[in-house]
Amino acid sequence: MIPMENNCLLACVFVPVIGAFALPLIGRVSELARNLTALALVTVSLVTSLFLAPAAIAGHVISVSYSLPLGFNFILTADALAVFMAAASSLVGAIIVLYSFGYISHYNNRNEYYLMVTLFLGSMMGLVYSGNLIFMYLFWEITAIASWRLIGFFREKEYVLKADKAFLVTVFGALVMLLGFIYIYQVTGSFDLSAIKAAFKNNAIPDIAVALILIGILSKSATLPFHTWLPDAGVAPSPVTALLHAAVLVKIGVYVFARLFIATFTLSQIWHTVVPVIAGVSALVAAGAALVETDMKRIIAYSTVSQIGFILLGFAVSNEVGVVGALLYILMHGLAKGGLFLCAGIVEQNTKTKDITKMGGLIATMPVTAFSFLACALSVMGVPPFGGFFSKYLVFSGAATSGSIMITSIFLFGAFLTLIYLFRIFNMIFLGDPQKPPAKEGSGVMVLSVAMLAVLSIAGGILIKYPSDFVQTAVKQMMGI
Amino acid sequence: MPSLMILIPLFGVIILNLVFAVNSRMKKAAFWLALAIFSLQVVVAVFHHPALWNDSLGRIDSFLNVSFFVDHLSFIMFICIGMVSIASLFVARYGMKDEDDIFKFINLLIMASIGMSGIVMVKDIFSLYVFMEITAVSSFLLIAFPRSLESLEGSFKYLILSSIATVLMLTSIGILFLAAGGTDFDAIAAAIGASYENALVLAAIGLFICGLFIKGGLVPFHGWLPDAYTAAPAPVSVLLAGVVTKSAGIYTMIRITTSLLPHYQSVNNILMLVGTISIFAGALAAIGQDNFKRMLAYSSISQMGYIILGLGTGTILGIAGAVFHLLNHSIFKSLLFVNSAAVEKEIGTSDMNRMGGISQKMPVTGTTSVIAFLSTCGIPPLSGFWSKVIIVIALWQAGQYAYASLAIIASIITLAYFLSMQRRVFFGKLRAGLENLKDAEGGVLTVSVVLAALTIGIGIFFPFVFNTLILPVKEILVR
Repeated sequence: MIPMENNCLLACVFVPVIGAFALPLIGRVSELARNLTALALVTVSLVTSLFLAPAAIAGHVISVSYSLPLGFNFILTADALAVFMAAASSLVGAIIVLYSFGYISHYNNRNEYYLMVTLFLGSMMGLVYSGNLIFMYLFWEITAIASWRLIGFFREKEYVLKADKAFLVTVFGALVMLLGFIYIYQVTGSFDLSAIKAAFKNNAIPDIAVALILIGILSKSATLPFHTWLPDAGVAPSPVTALLHAAVLVKIGVYVFARLFIATFTLSQIWHTVVPVIAGVSALVAAGAALVETDMKRIIAYSTVSQIGFILLGFAVSNEVGVVGALLYILMHGLAKGGLFLCAGIVEQNTKTKDITKMGGLIATMPVTAFSFLACALSVMGVPPFGGFFSKYLVFSGAATSGSIMITSIFLFGAFLTLIYLFRIFNMIFLGDPQKPPAKEGSGVMVLSVAMLAVLSIAGGILIKYPSDFVQTAVKQMMGI
Repeated sequence: MPSLMILIPLFGVIILNLVFAVNSRMKKAAFWLALAIFSLQVVVAVFHHPALWNDSLGRIDSFLNVSFFVDHLSFIMFICIGMVSIASLFVARYGMKDEDDIFKFINLLIMASIGMSGIVMVKDIFSLYVFMEITAVSSFLLIAFPRSLESLEGSFKYLILSSIATVLMLTSIGILFLAAGGTDFDAIAAAIGASYENALVLAAIGLFICGLFIKGGLVPFHGWLPDAYTAAPAPVSVLLAGVVTKSAGIYTMIRITTSLLPHYQSVNNILMLVGTISIFAGALAAIGQDNFKRMLAYSSISQMGYIILGLGTGTILGIAGAVFHLLNHSIFKSLLFVNSAAVEKEIGTSDMNRMGGISQKMPVTGTTSVIAFLSTCGIPPLSGFWSKVIIVIALWQAGQYAYASLAIIASIITLAYFLSMQRRVFFGKLRAGLENLKDAEGGVLTVSVVLAALTIGIGIFFPFVFNTLILPVKEILVR
């Protein structure tokens, strides 16, 4: 055990979680200082995660634990899966915080905004590194609280209602999941993941527990039938939707799926059919909804629901190729979908509407946003050489090798629909007759952030070697190959 | 020493009326005397040094002819009683403007706390009854304090139902006295153990438990509770919800079931059933309420259900969870009632339809309310989460899977009504006509902040609190 790395691990979680509460105080003194502090806190997570990366790639597992009564031990574990996930989410998170400097600067409640965003990202780190079910649940719920306040950021009545809806749905799922955890606790006498892994080494986990936990995962990852809160949550400010619905929050569910059902337990055979079917239905229904919606942010939100289906598919087939694809998908989709939401935010702020039928020709006045949007959209569609191509290809390849041709073709159709609705939204917003009066380009930091995400989406494809090496180590570790 | 917990406040009341009643300046100082008494109570209970508690007062004790005893459960109750009384005291000073009123209120408050301190220290069933009556009579007067029609009605309802409870319990005490030849807990426990299947003894147990259900406001004996909580003046609501029903109903239930009926599975089954019904009935009724305090009252019924449910497991973990939830609930529910008092005082009504967006004008009240209700719903990392999760784990380990699932799912109803409250009262756009709203005065805000800090602190330092304060309570089972 190298103490330096243990400290890094603790800092990665607790610096943003505790630091978040200082932000409103700093905000009273200076806006700029608060913004920069928020960015710095999130960057601490990114830097510490990257610092842990070499050890993780080399296959070391760094762990910090404190013994508590009743098997509630506080454990942080940094293996390759956790480090990858933490780095991916804090990278997108940091860019989103940067974008917020411009976007949020003229609304009320800015102090609360930065507090909640930083707290959210910090608890995300806690969730990712947590080696204990009860603390995983604890951080899971803190992210729910933060997203509740963030969705209700504009205090309009209907917005607050939608925030409450999102909170209720995700908390309902989480409570059911908690029952599943308690079921496991009853069998193993511990919430500690390594103890649970040892207890379930030779036998599959009870199906009831899987079903209970799966409800929690589906509600958090906005998969059918618990997906309706996600499009509704589009009323939040755009950086929040990017953060919650594209990059970080919805990935919590699939991450926990990977962490529990691949890295810790073995699932019984039936789930390898049930989960892909749920994912497939979810992917198709959401893609259909995205085709007919006219609200820009709802389209992108439905697209997220649809894409989450692909990630779940990759994990559920649970062969090496599929899981590698799904993990890469988390990264690529986070970058690209975050970019789409942020572009939508720029468009929305400058045209004062979210209805795509009332837009057109914006490419003339906001070229950077338009090209960034296009790049991110191409990545989500899975067009080479963008990052999204490799992840989508690997997921399909994994599904095909597992022999489920039926399900693979459902998803192929889903991928085809993705192509259509993303081209549709791009056409309606950026091409066609120009709008009167022509809208301006967004402010400097906002355009810079979306351009960064677009560049990263391309770079993710061209430099696919680096993330994929990392992910392959993670998968080998998870599946014990 | 334990008898000092009664004697000091009693002398306090006497001094109050002999010395402090002389002029209005002295009457103002009564507040500080009461504050000192309650603070002392909290401090000696938190740092329960054995040297302090084991000394008997020799001559005074033999003169009074009482035998009090304290254990860790009593300490937790002392903390609750002292803390909630302090909160109530601050709310009274903030809410009541007439000095005479405050003075009378303080007298009654100390009397009620003497009653409750007695309840948690006695070990014979008749003294228990006497102290319960002291508490109840002070509560009637406190509820009727403003002498409005509404408050008299609430007080009258409580009086009637409380008398029924008293009659039930007295009858039961009579029968048990006949069976055991004494009223000491140990004697009665032995008698119950010996005449296990005697119908009369069983009836006595049933009657006593029904009486306690009434006192604790559990469904279906809860009719008095929402009226009394709503009609009572703000500081009294804090006291009632925070600690009176808990010590008279819930604490006594814990003490009676563990000391007298440790091996009655049928009693445990009844407790779990009544607990679950209370959880759901209270939560469902709370959804439909328009009055802030009434919603909180129904919420209390629901949360009392959790405590009884945990108690019904009969295991160490279940009882520890129940006691932990009792402590947590008395903190966050007092906090909510303190905040409701602030809102009611500043706006002039507790009708939620006439509020909206007041967080902007009352930031401290708004924020602390969010913390309190998230804790009530059992959202981590706040204190309510840990106590609920311990109760659910205990239920699961006792093989009560259905009750465990119901207890967890009920949390979502709790969240639903609190979110509706939050949306109508604190969140959202400021309602027209409330532009000049101010936050409550410093004393009350301090109380809110301290209670909110406790809710967060117990949540974060849960292992420490659980090990040092809650887990020693298991001695009541293994005695």
